[in-house]
Amino acid sequence: MRLELRDITKQFPGVLANDRISISADRGKVLGMLGENGAGKTTLMNILSGLYKPDSGQIFIDGEERTFDDPVAAIRAGVGMVHQHFMLVPVFDVVEAVALGAETVTGFLGTFDRAAARKRIVELSEQYKLEVDPDAKIENLPVGVRQRVEILKALYRHSDILVLDEPSAVLTPYETEELFAIIRSLAAGGTTVIFITHKLNEVLEVADDIVVLRRGRVAGTADPKSATRQQLANLMVGRDVELIVPKGPAKPGDVVLHVENLQVRDDRLEMAVKGVDLEVRAGEIVVIAGVQGNGQTELVEAITGLRPIDSGQITIGGHHTEKSSPRHVSDLGVAHIPEDRGRDGLIDYMTVAENYILDSYHKAPYSRNGIFDLKAVRERAAQGVKDFDIRTPSIDTYAGSLSGGNQQKVVVAREFSVPVQLVLAAQPTRGLDVGSIEYIHRRLIEQRDGGAAILLVSTELDEVLAVGDRIAVMFDGKIVGILAGEDATYENLGLLMGGASFGGGLAA
Amino acid sequence: MTATAATAQISGGGLAARRALRAARVRGVAFAMLGLLAIYFASANFDVPAKFSLWIHEQGGDSAVLETKVGLLWIVAAIASAVVAGLQLLRGAGLRWRRWLLVLIAPWIVALLADLLAGKPAILTNVLAGSFEQATPIAMAAMAGILSERSGMFNIALEGKMLIGAFTASMTSSLVYIATGNVLLATLVGIAAAMAATGLTGLLLAWLGIRHKMNQIIAGTVINIGAVGITNFIFLRLLQHNTQYNAPPSVQPFKLPFLSDLPVLGPILFSAKPYVYVGYIMVIVLTYMIYRTRWGLRLRASGEKPAAAGTVGINVIAIRYRALILAGLISGLAGSYLSLAAGGSFQMEMTAGKGFIGLAAMIFGGWHPVGAFFASLVFGFADTTQSLLSILGVGVAPQLLASVPYVVTIVVVAGVVGRVRGPASAGLPYEQG
Repeated sequence: MRLELRDITKQFPGVLANDRISISADRGKVLGMLGENGAGKTTLMNILSGLYKPDSGQIFIDGEERTFDDPVAAIRAGVGMVHQHFMLVPVFDVVEAVALGAETVTGFLGTFDRAAARKRIVELSEQYKLEVDPDAKIENLPVGVRQRVEILKALYRHSDILVLDEPSAVLTPYETEELFAIIRSLAAGGTTVIFITHKLNEVLEVADDIVVLRRGRVAGTADPKSATRQQLANLMVGRDVELIVPKGPAKPGDVVLHVENLQVRDDRLEMAVKGVDLEVRAGEIVVIAGVQGNGQTELVEAITGLRPIDSGQITIGGHHTEKSSPRHVSDLGVAHIPEDRGRDGLIDYMTVAENYILDSYHKAPYSRNGIFDLKAVRERAAQGVKDFDIRTPSIDTYAGSLSGGNQQKVVVAREFSVPVQLVLAAQPTRGLDVGSIEYIHRRLIEQRDGGAAILLVSTELDEVLAVGDRIAVMFDGKIVGILAGEDATYENLGLLMGGASFGGGLAA
Repeated sequence: MTATAATAQISGGGLAARRALRAARVRGVAFAMLGLLAIYFASANFDVPAKFSLWIHEQGGDSAVLETKVGLLWIVAAIASAVVAGLQLLRGAGLRWRRWLLVLIAPWIVALLADLLAGKPAILTNVLAGSFEQATPIAMAAMAGILSERSGMFNIALEGKMLIGAFTASMTSSLVYIATGNVLLATLVGIAAAMAATGLTGLLLAWLGIRHKMNQIIAGTVINIGAVGITNFIFLRLLQHNTQYNAPPSVQPFKLPFLSDLPVLGPILFSAKPYVYVGYIMVIVLTYMIYRTRWGLRLRASGEKPAAAGTVGINVIAIRYRALILAGLISGLAGSYLSLAAGGSFQMEMTAGKGFIGLAAMIFGGWHPVGAFFASLVFGFADTTQSLLSILGVGVAPQLLASVPYVVTIVVVAGVVGRVRGPASAGLPYEQG
C-alpha cells in the first residue's frame, strides 16, 4: 500500500517534535528515515502507529485519508510497528507473544485457540523465511530471533506497511545482514517498509529512498544510489561533521594496564570472563569489540574494582588492583566512562555541578574537613562546562534533564578533569548522535596523544575501525583475536564477533 | 538476559560464589544438628506410644489406627536429617536444598506432633479436614492476590478487605435473618453484601493506584488501617451492645453426595462447609482462565509487560480495574467465611493477618492458583495443629502455640521460598498512550 504523511505537526511541552513533516512511501519500497536522536523520528512513527495524535496534518493510505485514534485503528489499517525496545512479553512463548491482542477464541469462556495461532505462525514463518521455534520462550531467544518474532507479529495482523524503529541497534553484524534480507523479501512481496535508523551505512544498503529529519523537520531527501555517507551525515547534523576523526599513528609506551588470566562471574554467578589476557600501553587505544553480553561489562567492572574477581591478575601502572576498591582504582588515575551512564555515570536528580565532583567531592579543593567549599565546587564545575562544551542552562540544572550527548559530556568532563593514566570507556557513544560521537572520539584521541592508555569497549564496527589502534575481539568471555587497527575490516571483525576464531586464536 | 535482574544485584562475582558455598556448609551442619536433636528426642521418650487414626466413613465411625512408638518416629526423622545433611555437605551449593528440605520436614513434623501429644491419639481426619477448612480463606485471599498481581497491581489491601467482608457479611446476614427468619436467604444476602462492599473497596484501591498512580503499597496500607478503624468503631458503638445484629446463622457442613462416601477421603475432603468446595472450584476455574483463555493471556501480559499489551491495542487500565474489582469480590467471600462459617459472629480484627498470609501463600505457590492452594494448606495445617495442641493442653504455652502459623509464614517466605519470580511489572503504574 502507498503511504503518505502530509504536514504532520506535533507539539510537546517545550519541544516542537514534528514540524509540518511530509513523507511518502510506495508499495513494495523501503523508505529509509535518517535522523539523530531527538530529530522527531520516533514521534512521527508513534503518530503513524496510533500511539500519539498529531496536532495537525493528515495520513493517507492508498490515497484515502485515515485517522488513528488508538493502536488498534492503525493495526486495522495495516500499519505494523516493530519497536526499538521489543514489545514482547518475556515469559510468553512465541505463539502467545505473537497472538496477544489478536487471539482467536473458542467456547463461552473465551479459550485461546492456540493450535490455530500456532498453525498460522508456522505458515507465515515459512512463507517469509522467518525461522522461529513457535514453542520457544521469548526470554530464551537471542535478540535477532526476537526481532523476527516482532516482524511475525506485524505479519500476523496482516500489516502491509511495516515500520522498523532502529532495528539494528541490538543486532550483530551477521544478524543485521539477515534482517536486511528479510526486509528485501518483504518489500519484494509488496510490503511497504519504513526503516528508521541513525546508521548511515544501513540506509545506503537497504533503502530505496532516503528522507533525513533534523529538529522535527524534513532536512532533505536523498537517493541511496548516488548519496554518500558524508552528505547524509551533514544533512543529519546540519553542519560539516567528521565521520572519522583524524588521528596520527599510535606511539605505544609503557604497559599501563596488564590483565592476566582474569576470571570474573556475572550477577547470576555464571563465569562471564573466562581467562582474559590483555595489555594496554600508554599512548594507544585498544578496542574491545564484540556483541554485547560477551563479558565486556564484567571485564570493565572488574578492572574498575566494582566487581570482585574470581581469579587472575590486574595491574594498573604497576600496582596490583585485584582487591582494590573503586575509589583506590580511581585514585591511581583511572577514568571510567561507564556503559550505562544513567545507572553508573550520573545521578539524574543531582545538578551538573554535583555530578561534576562525584568522584572527588571528598578531596580538596572541593571539601575541607568534611565540609564543602561551595565556591570552589561552582568555579570548577563552571570551568568544566566551558572546557567541555556542555550545553546546559546552568550548572544547577539536574543532570537527568540534559540530552544524552550532554550527559555524556558531563561524565567525560568529570573523568578527564584530573590527569589520567588509563581511560576505561565502555560504549561511550551508545545512543549518541553523530555530532556527539565525533566529540567523544576527539576527546579519547586527545587523551591518547597526551600519553594515556585507552581501553574502549564498543559494539559498533564503525567506531571500532575508526578509533582502534589495536582491536581485541571478545566472544563468550574470551579474547578470540587481536588485530592491528589497519588489518581490521568489517568482514574479519564480523566473523570474530560471531565466534569464529583465527587459527590458534591470536593473530597480531 | 534480564536487565532488571542484572541491575538488582550489583555486586556478585567470586565473592558471592564463595558466600553460597559457605551458606551451603552452614546449612549442612544445621541439618546434621537437627539429626542429633532428633536422636536426643528419641532417647528421651522412646517408649511413648504414638497413635494416629483416620475415620473411614464418617466422624465417629470405624477408624483405621496406626500405632507405633515416638522414639521410632524420631529415629526416622534423624535418618532423614542425616541424609539431607550428607547431601548438602557433599554437593555444596549445587544442591537444590529447598526440595530436599521437605524430606527432612515431613518426618520431623510427624515425630514432633506425636511427641507433644504424649500418647494421646491424634485423629488425622480431623487434622486434615481442619487444615482444608482453615486453608480456605487463606487460599481465597491468595487467589485474589494472584489476580491482582498478574494484572500488575500489588494488593496489600486484602487483609482490610477481608475484614470489611467479615463485618458486612455478619451484620447483613443477622439483619436479614431477623427480618425473614430464612437461614439460606440470610447467608446468601450476607455474602452478597460482603462481596459488594469489598468489590467497591477494590475499586477504590484501583482508583488510587491507577487513576492517581498512588504508591500501591501505601494505598493498600491506608485501606487496611481504614478497615480496622471503621469496623472497630461500629463494633464498639453498635454491635457490642446489640448482639442481635452480630448473630448470623452459621454456615453448616454439607456432605457432597457420592463423593463424601469415599473411604478415608470422603470425611476429609467432601464433608466440609460449602466454602471449601467453592475454594476447590475457584482454584480449578482460575487456573484454566489464567493459562488457557484470551482473558488470562491479556491479564498476564498486563502484569508482565504492559507496554507490549498496550501497543497491540489492549486496554491495560481496564484489565487492571477489572482484576482489582474481581479480587475485591473474592476477598469479600473469604472474609464472610470468617464471620459466617468459622467464628459464628464478627470480632474486632478477626482476620488476624489471614490476608497477608494469603499473600505469602501466593508467593510460596509461585503466583499459580494450584501452587498457592497447596501453600495455603501448609498454613491451614499449621493453624489446625496449633489449635489441636492447645485444646489437648500439651506442655507448651498457648501463646507460643498461637504464634506457630505466623512463624511458619516467616520461615516459608524468608527461608524456603528463595527467589521466586512474580509478574515483572507488578506494582508499577502504567502510562497509556
